[in-house]
Amino acid sequence: MNRRFLIGLLLVWSLGPLLWQVYTSFCSDQALIQPFVSHDQRWTLIHYQNVLNANPPFWRYLVNSLIVGVSSTFLCLLLALPAAYALNRIPRQLSTLSRLALVGAALFPYVLLFLALLELARALNLGNQLLALSLPYAALSQPLAILLLNNAFNDLPPELEDAAKLEGLSLFQRFRWILIPLISPATASTAILVFLFSWNEYPIALTWISDSSKLTLPVAMARIAGSSIYSVPYGAYAAATVLGSIPLVLLVLIFQKPIVSGLTSGAVKG
Amino acid sequence: MTLQIQNLGRHVGQQWIVRHLNLHVDNGECVALVGPSGCGKSSTLRLIAGLDQASEGEIILNRKNVSHVSAAQRAVGMVFQSYALLPHLSVFANLELGLRVRGVRASDRQQRIQAMLELVQLQDRANVLPAKLSGGQRQRVALARALLRDPDVYLLDEPMSNLDAQLREELRPELRRLVLDRQKPVIHVTHDQHEAMAIADRIAVLHSGRIQQVASPTELYHHPETLFIAKFIGRPQINCLRPKDGVVTAVRPESLFFAKEGLPCKIMSREWLGSSQLLYLDSPEGSLRLSCSTSVDIPELLIVSWHRSDEHYFDAESGRRL
Amino acid sequence: MIVLLLLPALLLLLVVFVVPLFRYAWLSFHADSVITGLIAIPNGGANWLRLFQDQRYWQDLGQTLRFAGVSVGLELILALCIALLLDQRWRGRDVVRTLALIPWALPTTVMALGWRWIFNTPYGPVDHFTKIAGIGSLNILGDPNFAWIATVWADVWKTTPFAALILLAGLQTIPADLYEALLLEGGNALICLRRITLPLLRPYILLALLFRIAQSFGVFDLIQVLTGGGPASTTESIALYAYWNALRFLDFGYSSTIIMASFVLISLICVIAWIVLQVLIPSHPKSRGVI
Repeated sequence: MNRRFLIGLLLVWSLGPLLWQVYTSFCSDQALIQPFVSHDQRWTLIHYQNVLNANPPFWRYLVNSLIVGVSSTFLCLLLALPAAYALNRIPRQLSTLSRLALVGAALFPYVLLFLALLELARALNLGNQLLALSLPYAALSQPLAILLLNNAFNDLPPELEDAAKLEGLSLFQRFRWILIPLISPATASTAILVFLFSWNEYPIALTWISDSSKLTLPVAMARIAGSSIYSVPYGAYAAATVLGSIPLVLLVLIFQKPIVSGLTSGAVKG
Repeated sequence: MTLQIQNLGRHVGQQWIVRHLNLHVDNGECVALVGPSGCGKSSTLRLIAGLDQASEGEIILNRKNVSHVSAAQRAVGMVFQSYALLPHLSVFANLELGLRVRGVRASDRQQRIQAMLELVQLQDRANVLPAKLSGGQRQRVALARALLRDPDVYLLDEPMSNLDAQLREELRPELRRLVLDRQKPVIHVTHDQHEAMAIADRIAVLHSGRIQQVASPTELYHHPETLFIAKFIGRPQINCLRPKDGVVTAVRPESLFFAKEGLPCKIMSREWLGSSQLLYLDSPEGSLRLSCSTSVDIPELLIVSWHRSDEHYFDAESGRRL
Repeated sequence: MIVLLLLPALLLLLVVFVVPLFRYAWLSFHADSVITGLIAIPNGGANWLRLFQDQRYWQDLGQTLRFAGVSVGLELILALCIALLLDQRWRGRDVVRTLALIPWALPTTVMALGWRWIFNTPYGPVDHFTKIAGIGSLNILGDPNFAWIATVWADVWKTTPFAALILLAGLQTIPADLYEALLLEGGNALICLRRITLPLLRPYILLALLFRIAQSFGVFDLIQVLTGGGPASTTESIALYAYWNALRFLDFGYSSTIIMASFVLISLICVIAWIVLQVLIPSHPKSRGVI
């Protein structure tokens, strides 16, 4: 089969739906209903205006997601780095068992945890606080993070740390000057994957946050989907979809290397 | 400032890696630790350095018992086989890290590192990353790092084994000079007995985690305590005759000569080594190696003999000298 | 000292993964809803009994299984094709790989909205397409027979890149000379696939399979936004059902029961899938390098 054809097919299939949204978002309501309307009545920016001028403004959701994403990533790494290091220094059977448990946890559909986590949020009064979301997010991404970082630590020649010990470096100093700098590619991969997860997460954000000015992007989109204040809502929906997708597309394009290497190394050693 | 190891041992699970190690190294003395792969040389070094915890025994460094002191506190300088240079730091930064962490002031650091770089002749390489250095240069950086530490003992773990033979020969005297200048005990691990014989004041032969003998090179050569040592030390390898009445008789290849009476032999092959030659012979007592100068004529009728006094006797079972 | 390093992560993991399961197990044997004033009162196996007799649950379970089965099956085949395509070296490959990743990176709810439009009748492009193709207007999202297909399609679209990447990683560990040797012996592409690629890929296929099966049981975002569970609950998943029981009907006891049952089911299915795959694809005989 012609390879060019297949590649084209792949691209059309992958990007088609999104590009259709872009197209739709610029179509006037009329054009959406009657596909053969005249040219000057076709294109409009009104959908974007509506979305951006809504209350709360759309960019608010992006900011919220950003706050949650950054804090989750930070917290996750803070906990996962020491844990990944320590995983190699416990007795062999224990570490094999732990690794297996972590793989199991990584595969687990976390959606099912929503109820217990909701109860937790209520009990500890964590509802409607963006930063509080970083707790469950950091926790849910721990398994993957620990496994990825642990692999990276394993790849380091053990003598490097030995030499550092003999130079008089304490554990913290070894972390700071040697271990963490040397695994920075893996850290970058882990960070971006955790960030993506936090940004895209839905069920927990849905149940923990109800205040409309504090919604993260996915939850906001669902709310928009639930409302139909527009006559033909799909233009506005499309605009919202495009606006919601832009940050992610940018992230993927910019961070493609760490993303791909993180996923593949996770697969190879997992 | 001496190093003393008493009854040092370590076991992992049920197996003893090293046991009953006793060794004393004086200031300015270089003891080579030799043995075949897996005999426990590196493990011993790691125990002395504090990278592994001993299961029994004591390590006394500079009259202080450091057996339970952590590696960071032990004042040990080690050069690793792989050099263990931090790949993301320049030569200068590699040398600086230890000083920095130990609280040396920036100006002092600059000075000391500069001086050290001159000493190992790497002044123009200060800002280079280890990946861009040759094997020999990396070794010098690793050495410089250990010297900068100014430790109470120097541990060298096969520092030359990653270098080619010619480089090894060139760097050997330099290594010895730099390290022994500090007047501290030095332990040099190597699997190359030739290197050990060349650089060490004394050699400790390790086999299956036990020290079989500690002696000067000549002593080891002329009076090996065990059959293993007799075979390990000295190239070409010593000849072992077939055991008789539980005794193995061994004779060095250079002790054999052509005579009118003795063992009739046939030449299997011959190696020309420049000033000397090595003959592989087949005799009723088994295969023999004979080493002599190239100026010696090889007679038609090959009869080989040796002096009684050149014989070594070992117990066939235990390998111990008789 | 080492323990200190592990402790925070361990604690967090326990709280988030282990404690909930115990809590669910406990709650499932209690009545905890509006009726009980939101206090948990033990009611023995009443919830479980109710679950066994709950028509809607079994319907949802069937739907979820159907969704998971078809979705994962399609995904893996597509992912393998994509991985095979991306495994070769051609100009612009990295760019295409990145672009193909975009579906995976988008939040499900964001794109679900888009899919609603795409499948919309009578204005969406799919509808136009079916009309042109002569199949007529299908009202996909409104038709109980077709709505689930839309969900499968959307799910496959989003998750295939991830599976493809995993399989691609596996493909890249296969040394080229294995193929060369087989081709020299007269093999063709199909035989290469059967004898070399699939056996050596087995652990990766397994990983992708288990991961996707487990995840698709938790399908929630997509269903809620794309179809809301409809039409007439025909696309409703068990996760969605559990959610409604908890947040709409405020019946936490029953919701816990649903979740607990799902957890048991997922574990069972994963084990079965693992066994089945071991049988289906024989492992490659140890042949390091060519003879």
